[in-house]
Amino acid sequence: MCYASVTEGPHSGMTMDLQGIPTGLASLDLGAASASIRVDGAAYPLDALYGAAYVFIDRCYVLLDRPDGADGAWRVTLAWKKGEPTAEQLRALAGEFANELLSCAWRSQIARESRAMIESVTAQALGGAMGPPSLDDLEKYDFSEETFEDPLGIAMSWEEKHKKKARADDPGAVPAPLQEKKS
Amino acid sequence: MTELRLHRDLYVGTAVDEAVAVFAPHATLERHDAPSHWVVQITAATPQRERRVAGELGNYALGLTVKGRRR
Repeated sequence: MCYASVTEGPHSGMTMDLQGIPTGLASLDLGAASASIRVDGAAYPLDALYGAAYVFIDRCYVLLDRPDGADGAWRVTLAWKKGEPTAEQLRALAGEFANELLSCAWRSQIARESRAMIESVTAQALGGAMGPPSLDDLEKYDFSEETFEDPLGIAMSWEEKHKKKARADDPGAVPAPLQEKKS
Repeated sequence: MTELRLHRDLYVGTAVDEAVAVFAPHATLERHDAPSHWVVQITAATPQRERRVAGELGNYALGLTVKGRRR
């Protein structure tokens, strides 16, 4: 018996294609109790392959390899740990691995695309966790800087924006709502 | 004798060394280096035991390799 070996075991070599999967992409070896999957390196990043393999190491023996002349493809061998599996069990195992691989590839792509945002949010969270500025920090802060420009008066309060303009002969001019209240 | 071949592009050498050290009490392990693979020759009392040690050793080395990449 062998496992990923150069020597041939008594039952290995009885390989068959997996039903429902294109020929050449996956095969079963009932004698070795294993399923073998060919993974295209261009379609699935290495991180995804590692991720999917890591999920399966508690269920089966996982061997990653790069066959000679495979042109950037990897081969994943999933070997049953105990007992003799049926072809259907091995097929299910290979199918679940393929699904997990796709999931890992998708998550890997999302992580890559949102890396900048995650780093920004993390930096802000860490900055916030440093707590409020100390008195020394406030003392050093330069308050002489001009505030932001507000040509449309958006930052102005309602009272400031709508109050009556004081005339020279009416020193007690107050905003209209307050006048109504008085009368 | 079972020969486990772990590709150098996919398995870190230190991870293989550590796995060999962990499983050395369970079988006779000989480590060799091929141009493209780390090779571990496993000899145990029965073929079933060799298969088991090979499988667990491979999983262990893979786990260490993946963990090393995540750091």
